[in-house]
Amino acid sequence: MPRTLWNGSLSFGLVNVPVSLTSAARDLDLHFRQLHGKDGAPIEQRRFCSKEDVEVQWEEVARGFDLDGKQVILTDAELASVQPRKTRTIDIEAFVDIEEVDPIYFDHPWYLLPFGESEGTLRAYQLLVKVMESTDRAALGRFVMRTKEYLVLVRPRGGLLSLTTMLFHDEVRPADGIAPGGRKPAKKKVDQAVAVIEALSVDWDPERYTDCYRERLTRVVKAKQEGETVKAPSEPKQPKPAPDLMAALEETLAGMKSGGGKGATRKRKATAR
Amino acid sequence: MPRSIWNGTISFGLAYVPVKLYSATESKTVRFHEVHVSDGAKIEHKRICSKEDKEVPFKEVVKGYEISPGEYVVLEKDEIKAAAGARGKVIEIEDFVPGGEIDPIFFEKTYYVGCRDDAEAYLVFRAALERTGRVGIGRFTFHDREYLAALRSLDGVLALHTMRFHDEIVEADDLEAGKPGKGPSKREVEMAGQLVKSLHRKFDPTEYEDTYREAVLDLIQRKAKGEDLGPAEPEPEEEPTDLTAALQASLGKGS
Repeated sequence: MPRTLWNGSLSFGLVNVPVSLTSAARDLDLHFRQLHGKDGAPIEQRRFCSKEDVEVQWEEVARGFDLDGKQVILTDAELASVQPRKTRTIDIEAFVDIEEVDPIYFDHPWYLLPFGESEGTLRAYQLLVKVMESTDRAALGRFVMRTKEYLVLVRPRGGLLSLTTMLFHDEVRPADGIAPGGRKPAKKKVDQAVAVIEALSVDWDPERYTDCYRERLTRVVKAKQEGETVKAPSEPKQPKPAPDLMAALEETLAGMKSGGGKGATRKRKATAR
Repeated sequence: MPRSIWNGTISFGLAYVPVKLYSATESKTVRFHEVHVSDGAKIEHKRICSKEDKEVPFKEVVKGYEISPGEYVVLEKDEIKAAAGARGKVIEIEDFVPGGEIDPIFFEKTYYVGCRDDAEAYLVFRAALERTGRVGIGRFTFHDREYLAALRSLDGVLALHTMRFHDEIVEADDLEAGKPGKGPSKREVEMAGQLVKSLHRKFDPTEYEDTYREAVLDLIQRKAKGEDLGPAEPEPEEEPTDLTAALQASLGKGS
């Protein structure tokens, strides 16, 4: 059972559902430990006072904030006095249509699980799952976890309630100046690009894509363990853009139609897993 | 305009679109640094060798992967780089998929994609993605590791989401959650439905401000002025209530 990162309650009108929060993403990355090259001993990060140069225990650490050149120190207890309700309760403020919420706001996925076995809790939890499943709507709320407030979207997933922490609107940068200006692209070229996109289209199937990086890194560790040496690849070059976009699109389509050549079909076979 | 963080090329079929990446998001969380309570001095983190109990300069640090407790395989930086792959500075699109089919649970971090040199290729590609409603799925290497990425048209620009792999997603079946002996009644579902309806809004992100951030900054100001912050006000304990009664009261029908 994955570990719980937060316990509190989900509040919907006057209905309170005790819940716990557990991650919906598992970390499968290979993690490395810093070692001392000379003796292979693990390295420990320890805290030192910059004034006294002595080691400081965690209990003697407070939070400092630089306010216009003046340092203000806050203790955990002082920080805990800020909006305490929000640290324990996710208040549902509104229900929105899911497709209106752009994923650009999404931060991290979680599940909310009913906390405790009481019949009342389980029934209220079920009620929320059921009512959202039948409406295609998701709940918006806010709460504080580890001294940060999050806007959250709660929606059903596989019979449970999923929760996505979200960014606040001022944490998403405006896209001004990102896209190039200039004339609208010629319709004929867009038509060709659309044809290429259609030809390369498949249904979304997440299992088509495996983490090759993780697989390669695992192989490198294995090879090293068996005493082999592993060489780094040379710096790759930037490909030169095709001088004629239209010709490149046409050639791609032609390659796919003939089912061979140097078009995309062969490339797709090579990358299919 | 922010600085770009990656320069490269999108390839689909035989066409290339030269691009730059920009962060689309920035955290506004109030950041603290660690200080020593007794003298207010900043805390420094030092790397200490656990065997010698002495500080270790950065150039003597190597990376180890723990294969069994206490036993490490040491990897050089170049060896880790080797795993990053030889993809180079290319975002190679493998497939296009209907945008609506991807559960956003897969999306990790968002970047804006700007154009480099060839504005026409960019504009054509973006327009074609918008018209088809498709999202390009590809891979690219960033900071010595390979990512799966989704490329789509968003409000007139190209956006790129780095993605999680399917085995990194926890499915509901992997979890255990208690089921009630008796499900909610028809009446309760109806009342909850009415409550959802009454709270239904059009999504407008600007309606939700991070008020906690402001409250923390206010606390810092008050502390700086020497105000006594005092303990938090105790909150009333919430009584567990009968579900039907709570729904009724929420709808304003309670007596």
